[in-house]
Parts: sequence; C-alpha cells; structure tokens
Amino acid sequence: MSDKFHDEIAALKQEVLVLGALSRDMFTESLIALSKRDRTRASSVKAKKSELNAGVARLEDEIFQTIALFQPVARDMRVLICSLAMVSALERIGRYGKDIANLVLELPERPCAPEATSLFHMGDLVTGMIDDSLRAYGTEDLSHIAEHSGRDDTVDALRKTIFRESLTHMLEDPRNITPCASYGMIARYLERCADHSCKMAEKVHYMVTGERVEIK
Amino acid sequence: MPGHSPILNVNGLSLWYGETQALRDISMEIMDRAVTALIGPSGCGKSTLIRCFNRMNDLVNGCRTTGTISFHGQDIFCHQTDAVSIRQRIGMVFQKPNPFPKTIYENIAYGPRIHGVRDRKQLDSIVEESLKRAALWDEVKDRLDDSAMGLSGGQQQRLCIARTLAVGPDVILMDEPCSALDPIATAKIESLIDDLKKQYCVVIVTHNMQQASRVSDYTGFMYLGELVEYDRTVHIFENPAKELTENYITGRFG
Repeated sequence: MSDKFHDEIAALKQEVLVLGALSRDMFTESLIALSKRDRTRASSVKAKKSELNAGVARLEDEIFQTIALFQPVARDMRVLICSLAMVSALERIGRYGKDIANLVLELPERPCAPEATSLFHMGDLVTGMIDDSLRAYGTEDLSHIAEHSGRDDTVDALRKTIFRESLTHMLEDPRNITPCASYGMIARYLERCADHSCKMAEKVHYMVTGERVEIK
Repeated sequence: MPGHSPILNVNGLSLWYGETQALRDISMEIMDRAVTALIGPSGCGKSTLIRCFNRMNDLVNGCRTTGTISFHGQDIFCHQTDAVSIRQRIGMVFQKPNPFPKTIYENIAYGPRIHGVRDRKQLDSIVEESLKRAALWDEVKDRLDDSAMGLSGGQQQRLCIARTLAVGPDVILMDEPCSALDPIATAKIESLIDDLKKQYCVVIVTHNMQQASRVSDYTGFMYLGELVEYDRTVHIFENPAKELTENYITGRFG
C-alpha cells in the first residue's frame, strides 16, 4: 500500500509542475502579447483559461481523494498541503495572465501609447520568481527561493515607479490615459503574482522543513 | 512538557528477559490527565514498557530490570512497594476483552470487594459510577444480573474499563484495547478515552497510528527496545524530529 501511495504522491507532484508550466505560460505569453501588441497571442492566452480551470479542479480532487484514502502524516501530509496551496496560487497567476491578455485586447495600437520598459523588467523579475518557486517545489532545494524576499521588495518598488511614470505620461498627454491606466493595472497584477510566488515559496519551505516562515 | 504535570517518571529503564534485552535505557515522563500513546513495530518493547508501569513483568520468569520508575515519588520496583496496591492505582485493560464469567454487577464489584468494601449500598454506587464513567451504564442498567459473557465485544471491553475504574486508579494502561473491536465499538472506546483523561492518566499501546494520532496528547515511538522519539502528538505526526520516526509513521519502513 505504501509504495502505491508514494508513487501517487510523486505523480501528483509532477502534475502540479505541469499545471505550473501552463500557468507560467499564460503569464509570460500575456506579457509578450503586451510588448508586441499581439492580439492573436492575447486571444490564445484567454483561450487557455478553461484548460487552467480543468487542471485546477482535477488536481484539487486528486489531492482530496489522496487525503481521504491514505490519511497521510508528517512529510507526506506536508507535500499534499503544499501542493494544494501551490495549485491555488498557480490558478491565480494563470488568471492574472488572462487579465493582462484582456487589457492587451483593449489597448490602442502603437505609436500612440508610450513604451512600458519598466513593466517588462518587472515581468522578467516576477517570471523568475515563479520559475524558482516551481523549481524549489520540484527539487525540494530551498536555495532557489532564498532570495525571494529581496526580489519581492524590488518588484514592489518597481510598481510604485511605474505608477508615477504612468501619471506623468497621463499629465503630459490625455490620450495616454487609457494605456497608462492599463499599465498601472498590469503593474498591480505583476506585484500580486510576485506575492503568490512568495506564498508558494513559504509552502515549499514548510513542505521541506516543517517550519513556517513568512516571505514578503 | 507544558500544560501537564508528570505522574510517572521513567529513568534509565532497561529490561531483560533472560539474555534478551527488551528495553534499552528508557527515560520519559508520563503526564497526568493526558493520553500518552506508544507506537512502534511488533516486538519494539511498547507492551513490555507499559507492563513495567504496574509490575506485570514481575510475573515473568527471568525478567530483570535496571533503572527506576517513580510514581508519586515512590519507586515502583522497590521491594517495599506493594505490587497489589500499585496495580490498584495503575490499572490495565488488555487487547482482548476478558470479563470474568460472572454477572455484569459482580465483574465490577469484584475488585472493590477484594479491597475490603462490603457494604451493599456502597458497592451499588461504585458499580453505577464505574459503569457510567465507562459509558456503559445506559446499555446495561436493566440487566446488571445478566452474565457479562452475553455482552458484545465492545461492551465487554468497556466493562473491563469499568472494572479497572472501580478500584479508583490514577493511571489506566491500555494494551491495544481496540484491536479486537469493530469500527463503531472502537469509536466508542476512543471517545471514552477522551473523557477519561479529564480525571485519569491514560497510556495506550496501539498498532493503529491513526488511533494514536486521534486519541493521544503525547506519542512515544519505540524501536528495538529504545524510545526513539517522544513528543506532543501533533509534533510527531506533523513534523517528527527523527528520520526513523518519519519513516515509520509514513510507512517507509524497512
């Protein structure tokens, strides 16, 4: 029985990583769509929402069933609890990708809108955090998430900068109001995704060590 | 350990059956008004350990011990300590229900009579009180003169618990008390254990780890005669300190 159980846990972790890849993909694709003003790409991100929902529901069911059937304890239980938290954070991140894609579809064509360089820098940082949270979960190596707190501070600072930049652009030219309001919104989404990466890092830390930490 | 005070202090306890060492240098404090579970694979010494608490191992030929167990400051193994009075204050319930082939009433009254209670009214009240504390009264109050052998397995086990309570113990030892019972009878015993700990110290040996995690406040994991880890139950089952404990409770053993 126990071998079957541990095989199931290993398979479940792989599935969480697959969901992670989908969610990360929605997130990064939405930023590429933004940088290229690529509406087709934005639409395809939107279309992945149902796949994300189905993956989340399936994994939640599997985790609940595993708990009900095997009543895990200690590390096994921590892996399942962590996986459940990962699934809900990944769902949020994928949905923010979809939200960004929605905004891209509403943005005016360039060259009307000013460039949003800081936004892409911020997007790269957050993508790195998501990747490393997933990597730490997969390998159980906490060194990947050791710098999360500092990276999150940088992301927060960038959000404030983008907000100010957007305001400046709006004051300069009222035609910038629509795109820059969207940039402000996207910066907020990116910041939330960084928070979800920190949440995942906290859960991975708990899974590996059994100790709770706060990463923010 | 916070919140509870110790009632039994085990200090450097080792035990041999002839040449075979069954317990190795065990030290632990058993807390009053709490449930302590002992878990571990067959032959790890958990039953041997609880049998030390009321000197049941005295009855085994070639058994010898070193170290001490103190109970209310008195060494249980000391020659001046009366084994009978120890067993009155530290009662035991076994794996298989073992009622005497007598009436329900006589099963409970037997112990108090041996300890000198003769007054019928006093015996009546002890019988009623003990059966109530063992959550059996409502099921048997109308047939106290029926044979105890006619009770179901779960009722017989609660009768044995009532019989233990009748002599006024401080500690109740239970050696696999549910392993011969169905899930419903098991659930009744478990909720009884939860009630009993308000007034007694309960020590339970169990193979069922879910049972240990459900009923106990403290858990000791034993392996090859050693107490590998002993801590609050939530700690043992959420984040045990020793890898051996982790491997055992998650089924990665051997």
